[in-house]
Amino acid sequence: MKRNPESVLNVLGKTQYLDDLPENAGMLHAAVVLSPSAHGRFSGLDTAAALAMDSSVRVVVAADIPGQNELGTAVFDEPLLAAGEWHYHGQVLALVLASSRSLARKAAARVAVQGAEQLPAVTDPREAAARGNIILSPRTQRSGDVDTAFLACDVVVSGRVESGGQEHVYLETQGAIAWPDDSGGVRLLSGTQSPSGVQKIVARVLGLPMNLVEVETRRLGGAFGGKEDQATGWAALAALGAVVSGRPVKINLNRRDDMVATGKRHPYSSDFRIGLKKDGTILAFEADFYQNSGAATDLSPAIIPRTLFHAAGAYHIPNVRVTGTMCRTNLIPFTAFRGFGGPQGFFVIESAIDAAARALGIEPADIQRRNLLSDGDEFHYGMVAEDPRAKETMERCLAKADWNKLRADIRDFNAAHAGLKRGAAATPVCFGISFTKIMMNQGGALVHIYNDGSVGVSTGAVEMGQGVGRKIALVVADALGIPDSKVKIETTRTVTVANTMPTAASTGTDINAMAAKIACDQLRARLDALAKDRPGLDFVQLVALAHEQRVDLSAHAFYATPGLHYDLATEKGKPFHYHVYGCAVVTATLDVLRGTYQFDDAFIVHDIAHSIDPVIDRGQVEGAFAQGLGWAALEELAFGADGRLLANTLSTYKLPDAHFMPRMDVEFLERPNPGTVANSKAVGEPPLMYGIAGYFAVLDALKAVHPDKPAFYDLPMTPEKALRFLSEEDSP
Amino acid sequence: MKITLTVNGDRYERECAEHHTLLRFIRETLGLTGTKEGCGMGECGACTVIMNGRAVNSCMVLAAEADGAVIQTIEGEAKGPTLSDIQASFERNHAVQCGFCTPGMVMSVKELLASDPHPSVDAIKEAVEGNFCRCTGYTQIVEAVTELTGTGAKGGLDHV
Repeated sequence: MKRNPESVLNVLGKTQYLDDLPENAGMLHAAVVLSPSAHGRFSGLDTAAALAMDSSVRVVVAADIPGQNELGTAVFDEPLLAAGEWHYHGQVLALVLASSRSLARKAAARVAVQGAEQLPAVTDPREAAARGNIILSPRTQRSGDVDTAFLACDVVVSGRVESGGQEHVYLETQGAIAWPDDSGGVRLLSGTQSPSGVQKIVARVLGLPMNLVEVETRRLGGAFGGKEDQATGWAALAALGAVVSGRPVKINLNRRDDMVATGKRHPYSSDFRIGLKKDGTILAFEADFYQNSGAATDLSPAIIPRTLFHAAGAYHIPNVRVTGTMCRTNLIPFTAFRGFGGPQGFFVIESAIDAAARALGIEPADIQRRNLLSDGDEFHYGMVAEDPRAKETMERCLAKADWNKLRADIRDFNAAHAGLKRGAAATPVCFGISFTKIMMNQGGALVHIYNDGSVGVSTGAVEMGQGVGRKIALVVADALGIPDSKVKIETTRTVTVANTMPTAASTGTDINAMAAKIACDQLRARLDALAKDRPGLDFVQLVALAHEQRVDLSAHAFYATPGLHYDLATEKGKPFHYHVYGCAVVTATLDVLRGTYQFDDAFIVHDIAHSIDPVIDRGQVEGAFAQGLGWAALEELAFGADGRLLANTLSTYKLPDAHFMPRMDVEFLERPNPGTVANSKAVGEPPLMYGIAGYFAVLDALKAVHPDKPAFYDLPMTPEKALRFLSEEDSP
Repeated sequence: MKITLTVNGDRYERECAEHHTLLRFIRETLGLTGTKEGCGMGECGACTVIMNGRAVNSCMVLAAEADGAVIQTIEGEAKGPTLSDIQASFERNHAVQCGFCTPGMVMSVKELLASDPHPSVDAIKEAVEGNFCRCTGYTQIVEAVTELTGTGAKGGLDHV
């Protein structure tokens, strides 16, 4: 039977993550000194106690940086090492090197901040916006004429929605190893989704050209967006340490430092106004999204447009006006996390529909079904929906859940039980695929056929558990007409494929497998030309002949997603190659006395198009749903009023465990998606939004207790909020 | 101090510091890096090994406490290149994504099956409830076990 070689390594425990590789003699270990509060000034660092511990101890500060002390992708507004002022709790003030990991950590603990002066900290995004602390300019997307449309509505409902941040909790914490190179540069092994991104920043920090910085990524023990931009700083620190000390340097964060010092999903605070006809047709929608961007720009300018693009959910709304504002606060710079702003947008429109349903005296599902996208509908950003699968997936999902019977059963159950109430909700999803920044939709591949017929494939894709390597191997095997066991996927290296984009935005397979396929098609054409005169040769014989006849057995290819365009001035265009659709129904049971709840069932119909590997894709759907359900109804990223992260360990930040997850019944809608590799659709992010149904399932059960009490839209749902709703006069 | 213990059938006599954890001893002194550190605080289960027949978080056990113990890590699970039944089922059912939680997860399942060869779905969930997996959503993990033991329906979890 076919085996996935990466999975075999994993079950054997032989997979080598960054910290599993043998250490070089003389390697130094790094630890970091983090800022003690959300905002402050300091005059310097007292390093005497740390340096006195051992002769190997060295403290590296901002002044030691030979190049530019800046991190960022578009806007370079985050120092690698704070100089004079810190802007959030957990900002790196100094790097401490020592001969062992424990010594480095102990020495870092003995570095004292001198002349510290606390400064006022702003943690609320609306307060930041009111003070004018915003990043770049707000963006507004609009269609139709919202103001006129609202006048024609039978009912107009407005409200406020909060959604909390989310910690990635990739099981392998952030890390990097840097070796000084005799070229005068550095070689790096980095736990990053973006080796070229690391290369670029390390070169800037060290004042080197990019060709003297070589970055390799082997694999990641989970990432979920948390190692897209946020892995760069740790790699740059290791590189800086290697250059300053002349020794190899390894940095591998412990869990608490990782939770305190790395970015997470953005919290949002939003206002909405929705207008409908009596029959539930949505005529107008507007929303203002206040994104809590944290203390630096990071990826926020790429994330806010994805919120706006997804502000109308899976619906066609003719009149839309949505504005997103990036609010600079004194919290950790928030960053990419699976969904990338999309989930925050979805939660607002679904909250608006829930509120409108109450005003109209109908069920939310009635409004959802009436307004789903149809073929030819224009999105508010100008793109036209082609072969939309919103209605198909939602109707199939409702049928799968036996929706009408489910609603009746729940009504009966709730009438018969005082202490327990059940609830159910559906969430339809429509998610655009492509990086929202058009230039990023490019990728390369380098395919070698060795003269024994085995094949090595390099691309820009980083394997992090999502199975991109496996999918590329299957595509390559198919394109070359060989067994997949002959294909090896190489580690991701800046010297084999240059100028790559992060493996992100669900596009890893779309872009990299397509580039690999183009390279394979070139190779196959060369071999086929030879085979014309020599019929009957198998692949290995053909390859040997090609080598003999001096035919190139290597090919590099490039793929740029076609047809994308976007006009920032009008906020119109075609930002996505296509959309992924789907729907989830989630049911929950609420304990009315305690406010606790459990999720019983999840029915999911997901638009997979053609699956390159169904078992991987099912894992992606279920895993994304689990993260979405965690975000929506479990994981509370609690900050203190002073801006310090309270949920800084896995005992104070609750993750989904085996008991938390409901029964899952996942069905694929299989209809090819022309114009993509193997007619497939990307799968990484869209299913995360299914978790939103979990919030509304609990809310549905809560409404069964207090049907007249206004609902609250403050994600995540938690037992604490549920209990307050159940027991207090005011909602949370 | 010197400790003596048996790991995956091999007897080791090694020096270790009094404050070193069993996890650190296994990874750094013995060089068996299949056992992972996910949190170092006994909360995630990535470092699970079997000590004297019980699954333990090796980050919460001092190496000194393991003096005289019989320990199994993930490296002792396969027989040469042949996957154990648990490993083969994990691979077949794609109970593995990034793989970082997998060694600990396999150890927890091994402890369960040693005492209960036909566990209910609830018993399987209980056995792995101390092992966080951030990738899978757990269904494929539970199915890897039920397929092996014949105790659950394929394609969805029997609810408790």
